[in-house]
Amino acid sequence: MNDAILGTQIRERRRQIGLTQVALAREIGISASYLNLIEANKRRIAGQLLQRIATALGMDAEDLDGTDERRLSQALDGIARQPAVQKFKAEINRTGEMIGRFPGWARTLAAIADSEQSAQQTARAMADRLAHDPFLGETVHHMLTRIAAIRSVAEILTDVPDIETEERNGFNQLIADEARGLTDLAGALADYFDRAEEAEQTLTPRDEVQAFFAARSNHIPELEDITGPDQEVRVSDIIQKIVRETVFETDMARDLAAQALLGYAFLAQQLPQQSFLQSATDLGFDAEALAQATGMPLPGICQRLAALPPNTDRPRFGYLKADASGAIVQMLALDGLPVPRYVATSPLWVLYRARQIPGQIVRQRAVFSNSIRVVFVAHAHNVAKPGFAQTPDYVTDMLFMSDEDAAKTAYAPDQSTPLEEIGPAAHLFPDASFDQRAEHPFQAAESRK
Amino acid sequence: MGSKRILLAEDEPNIVAPLQYLLNRAGFDVDVHEDGHAALQAALEDPPDVMVLDVMLPGIDGFEILSRLRNDQRSRNLPVLMLTAKGQREDRERALKTGANLFITKPFANAELIAAVEQLVHDAQPDQAHG
Repeated sequence: MNDAILGTQIRERRRQIGLTQVALAREIGISASYLNLIEANKRRIAGQLLQRIATALGMDAEDLDGTDERRLSQALDGIARQPAVQKFKAEINRTGEMIGRFPGWARTLAAIADSEQSAQQTARAMADRLAHDPFLGETVHHMLTRIAAIRSVAEILTDVPDIETEERNGFNQLIADEARGLTDLAGALADYFDRAEEAEQTLTPRDEVQAFFAARSNHIPELEDITGPDQEVRVSDIIQKIVRETVFETDMARDLAAQALLGYAFLAQQLPQQSFLQSATDLGFDAEALAQATGMPLPGICQRLAALPPNTDRPRFGYLKADASGAIVQMLALDGLPVPRYVATSPLWVLYRARQIPGQIVRQRAVFSNSIRVVFVAHAHNVAKPGFAQTPDYVTDMLFMSDEDAAKTAYAPDQSTPLEEIGPAAHLFPDASFDQRAEHPFQAAESRK
Repeated sequence: MGSKRILLAEDEPNIVAPLQYLLNRAGFDVDVHEDGHAALQAALEDPPDVMVLDVMLPGIDGFEILSRLRNDQRSRNLPVLMLTAKGQREDRERALKTGANLFITKPFANAELIAAVEQLVHDAQPDQAHG
């Protein structure tokens, strides 16, 4: 057992739940001074006493037992002893104390080190593959041979003034032949890298489902307007048929697609397209107003808006749902709007802002680095179990639409709405400070063009 | 004394053409062999003054040829210039380890290649009398 961690953990937990040393000592039947020694990591404990302390602190004895912490401690010691970071002189003798006091930070550090190690391994494996790839090796050799021939002949043609005409013609022909061969080799090499890149682009099951919906413009007419007593059976049959007739890479993607279609069918049943479209048009596609008018929760309204049949006369909406980490877990994409997978990591994104003020609708008018202008409307809500000291777990629903389409909705921006510049990846923002400008950001964006 | 003889073991005709032209112009006689076995046999049976040996040859490769030459009394001291491809560091190291006197990487400058051959011919002069 790692006692250096155990005592600190007990003290932290006791303070966390607002218990004094005297009160805890009394509860477990020891003196306060003995508890003090335990908490200061100067006494080893185990067995029944450990069990009593754990119970009094509302924990499992296993949580205090320290197996995990011991592993973590070893990992952190290992990190601190790496040559690249030794200069920082990490307080190795106080690793246990750190784990006890800041378990979250300790685990974060270990996780980052873990991920860095695996990235290094990947990089090494890729470098190795590149160095020993037989196709690359052979192609490069052939290219160098051809370049050698061209160079040598070109030097002869320029350096030898008295070269015979016949030889000159032969060498000219040789350069032409080799140049053609070189072009073919370069083409083959480019193809090879293209294919390698394609092979690297492995689709996740969620990507597949997203692509499936995108290919249908997020609208599934087969699942609209199904009524009657046997509608459940019919919906199930239709979903099975759609899934069967679609090519999915993995079973998981097929299952996810079936689930998503079932969700679609449910919403189609709750909010039939004709009446929903009518209400949406009347209410300026205002998701909150629609939620109130129909009694459906906001996420369902957003998905229904994104699933409206494509029609050039009315606005088109994309939808996405992000989990607490900012990862997109569901997306109904819109053509030409490059929404990155991990969007909430940047404070510039509306998703992030929505999480700052859960329960409220937040709007952002943005311009991507490719000049496409988009309006985002986001709403975050807490899905964690309610209760004191429960960490909130925000899920964010977001509608997005082109700037042009937004003008036809309740979300139409006006001149006072700032136009914020965002890139497809947070670290590639052309100008991160743009958002902070107080004066006329709209004009600034215009002049940037 | 007649022209020095160079045995050129190279299977790429478009490399052979300029090399043969250059070596002839520099006053050497050139025997060309495109096949590894034939080149080895020629070098053993009638050792040239210098052998210019490419690494990649059909039949047996340049390293194997070099190794066999170094293990044969008739060609133990035959000056060999090896042609390796740029970037193949392992090839260069192996060439020197196997016993190449010099190596040149493709693509090479003509002057560099001729200078290397001439240097090998020059270095071998004292030994040639009883070679």
